[in-house]
Amino acid sequence: MAEDDADAPAVADAPAGGTTDERLAHRGPIQQLLTRPEIGALLGAGGVWLLFWLVSSPFGTVGGTANFLDVAAYLGLMAVPVALLMIGGEFDLSSGAMTGATAIVLILLASDIAGAGLGLHIAVPLSLAFALAIGWFNGTLVEKTSLPSFIVTLGTFFILIGAKLGFAKLFTNKVLVEGLDEAAGYDFWNGIFGASWLRNGHIWDGRDWAWAGLLVFGGTALLLGTLELSYARRKSSNPAGIVTGLAGTVAAMAGFALLLTQDGADLVYGLLTGAGVLVGVAGWCLARYERPDQSERGVSTGFVSYFAGGIVAVVAAMVIAGLMDAENSGSLGFLGGSPGRIIFAIGMGLIGVLGVLAALGRVTPGYPAIGAALMLVPSVSFLVTIQAARTILFGGLAILGVLLLTSAAGRMRPSVVVSLITSAAIVVLAFFVQSESMSRKLRVELFSVLLLLALALAAAAVARYLSARRTSAPAPPQLGPWIRVGMIVGAVAAVVFAVSELIDGDDILYALIAGAAVGGIVAFGVYAVGTVYRTLFTSDEGVGRALVTIGIGAALLGVASRLLFITGAELEAICTLGSDDVLRCPETQFGVVVLAFLIFAAVGSWVLMRTQFGSWILAVGGNKEAARSIGVPAARTKTILFMLVSGAAWITGMLIAFRLTAVQANVGDGNEFRYIIVAVVGGNLLTGGYGSALGAGIGALIWGMISQGIGFAQWNSDWRFLVLGALLLVAVLVNNYVRGRAEKVR
Amino acid sequence: MSTDFLELRNISKFYGNIIALTGVSTTVNPGEVTCVLGDNGAGKSTFIKILAGVHQHDEGELLLEGEEVKFNSPREALARGIATVYQDLAMVPLMSVWRNFFLGAEPKTGMWPFRQIDIDGAKRIAKEEMAKMGIDIRDTEQPVGTLSGGERQSVAIARASYFGARVLILDEPTSALGVKQSGVVLRRIVEARDQGLAVIFITHNPNHAYPVGDRFVILQRGRSLGNWAKEELSQGELTQLMAGGAELEELQHELAQAGTS
Repeated sequence: MAEDDADAPAVADAPAGGTTDERLAHRGPIQQLLTRPEIGALLGAGGVWLLFWLVSSPFGTVGGTANFLDVAAYLGLMAVPVALLMIGGEFDLSSGAMTGATAIVLILLASDIAGAGLGLHIAVPLSLAFALAIGWFNGTLVEKTSLPSFIVTLGTFFILIGAKLGFAKLFTNKVLVEGLDEAAGYDFWNGIFGASWLRNGHIWDGRDWAWAGLLVFGGTALLLGTLELSYARRKSSNPAGIVTGLAGTVAAMAGFALLLTQDGADLVYGLLTGAGVLVGVAGWCLARYERPDQSERGVSTGFVSYFAGGIVAVVAAMVIAGLMDAENSGSLGFLGGSPGRIIFAIGMGLIGVLGVLAALGRVTPGYPAIGAALMLVPSVSFLVTIQAARTILFGGLAILGVLLLTSAAGRMRPSVVVSLITSAAIVVLAFFVQSESMSRKLRVELFSVLLLLALALAAAAVARYLSARRTSAPAPPQLGPWIRVGMIVGAVAAVVFAVSELIDGDDILYALIAGAAVGGIVAFGVYAVGTVYRTLFTSDEGVGRALVTIGIGAALLGVASRLLFITGAELEAICTLGSDDVLRCPETQFGVVVLAFLIFAAVGSWVLMRTQFGSWILAVGGNKEAARSIGVPAARTKTILFMLVSGAAWITGMLIAFRLTAVQANVGDGNEFRYIIVAVVGGNLLTGGYGSALGAGIGALIWGMISQGIGFAQWNSDWRFLVLGALLLVAVLVNNYVRGRAEKVR
Repeated sequence: MSTDFLELRNISKFYGNIIALTGVSTTVNPGEVTCVLGDNGAGKSTFIKILAGVHQHDEGELLLEGEEVKFNSPREALARGIATVYQDLAMVPLMSVWRNFFLGAEPKTGMWPFRQIDIDGAKRIAKEEMAKMGIDIRDTEQPVGTLSGGERQSVAIARASYFGARVLILDEPTSALGVKQSGVVLRRIVEARDQGLAVIFITHNPNHAYPVGDRFVILQRGRSLGNWAKEELSQGELTQLMAGGAELEELQHELAQAGTS
């Protein structure tokens, strides 16, 4: 966050290496991230999560997460291949109907009550063949006729809807096709498509230690990786820096350990930890990076207004928190009733009048937005409770204030003083939140998050004060042998673990997945060890990227451990003894759909960014004739994409069928637009040639969070589509801006 | 008798009853630039497409190193070392320079199923090859759409020569460019020739063709007006032939008269 200042000395004076291009300012990791297509979605997802986490208590719990992940996974599993197809320049409007169609085909083929009675061992592969055939048909027809895929797949869409209803009625006389659970082979296939992870069955008492350890390790790796990517390495070693760094690290670890042994937060130990971290970072920078050129001092334009704006926003946030009633769950409604209606009407009139004037060229086109804002105020005011409005206003203003202060920090060199003031402001905010809030969530969790944020900002400021910016892109990391060793050790671990699970009597699917997971974790661990070793003991300049990777990986593993495992104490706490003396424990489960979604998102973005096929997808979507003339098999690429979508539709159909065992004829119809919307929210260009598979996955997460979060927050769910529509528009605008920026920056 | 590298003998192409190209003969040799000139609709595009394997000729013979060939697809022509740089550049504007450079022939690393593009290697090679052409690409991650017209042509030419092209067909490379940029591209043509490539340079501008060409073929309304070596033709003659000879003379005459009266 220290890197996003636009006024930083962008152009390097003296290129360090011979390979440097002096016209090219090196962009730090955060600037690079800002030009990725999915950045809008990523920030949006963070914002949406924060919003619902603040306004509803169940949303942030493991149960709430499982709930929105489930919705997101069903959507994202399809949205990722739909996004790839969209990047390839085509649409598939039949994708939604196809999910239901494969489920119905499966049941009609397998069930012996109303269907062909083939049993599932034959019906499952046949339904896959059916799905792939439709994908192939779509792709071939689009390619052979050169008709827009919009028209061709619209035809397939109606054919599928009609066929689903027609065949369902023909064979069962109902629109509900049922009898899957009585078909032969149900148990085996249900073990795959109906599988789910029951959290209560996985007790791990050391979980909290693992989770905390992974987060600390991940955070450290991320911080050091960012520093490594941003600052220039020094040639000689600096013993003073090493000693300072070690002392700081010891202090931080001691302080943290003492904090953990305390029940409540302890100010002295907290200060010890914070100071230790800062001293550690300072030592690291002294030991490792060049000293900066101290001649560039002074304040650049806009500093005063940013700084003042930040202070005003923080103060306003606190005033609002003090004035508004935290307990009142009544409707905000201060503009409800007739004043609200009058304002609404005035706003609408203004839009009309100003719109006409703008169209005539009398006023700039921005003016009608005033009317829209006037309409929005009363509309929103009766939707939101006073409680929620207070939280939103407070949170929004506080975030705005911190952002403004951070920008101010970037405009003053050396900026360490202002950055430290910003950190101090956040610390004050944190203690304010703690003293004032009722709920444990805000008092403990938000408090800790704010303190961590302040610490990160302060650490960034210290680092920037002590280190010179990198002027050239770092060399690629030289981790070849570590990756290879990691893969081999991981593969061995996977096989050993899977076999031991099989011997223990677990079923094959579970053993395979668990084995793969263990192997992956072991391989990741070896890679992490290798990266740490290379960072500390070699002069490899490329470790920055690897550090960022393992930082993110460790943090994700930490979150996964928290979501997937339960501690004994936690289990005891949630179980209640019913009146009939039966112990009832609310169960949290993650369906296999979540796993499928994660695999699709990961493999999809790997394919798009790193493989030849990915390049071909971008090429056929960007300029099909050019791609073809240079030897890219355009027709085959597109047909494979259509078949990928229909294959994903088959997986979705199987998951639906085994979850419900009886399928309505209209299941999935209309979802195709959701897939497309989610893909667009994720930064994919509607006209093809640009986008991100990971972005589509993040888009699906946003959709899941909003559609479930509205329920958790007990808002009126009638407005859900309004929120989603607004989200779509905002997302498109942000993505447009990001793409323009990405092209300009280069 | 030494065989020419690529020889066309009376090549003709018909679309139904339309005669697109008839009786075109010429030779193409390494280290030489063969210019194909013609006005709009003269059959230049058909000529390229036959050599590039997009279309197949209906009459005549196409000899590659003395052996008669007929290319059924662009891939086949490419495999035999005939690379075409199209007027619309055959580039994907939103894709980065290195992706465009290696499109269709990405260098790969790793074991199946983990085979992926060797991105760092691809970026390095793209930068080096561009440097050889005298173009210093700032950042190979830059989308091709942000390059200037001359730079884009250079990427296309560098790509073709890197992938072992022996014959380089350039379709109107200077037509959309300004004077300065055209000069840059003409220099690239000379450089490619000096590297030992056979270059076929399609243009309608005799002023661009004459300085770099070793051999000239002039097409008019699908017919070949002839096939000359450079020493058989002066620039003025070339311009005259190109503009339809007699017609231009008549026009000059009329203009001169209008000037004197």
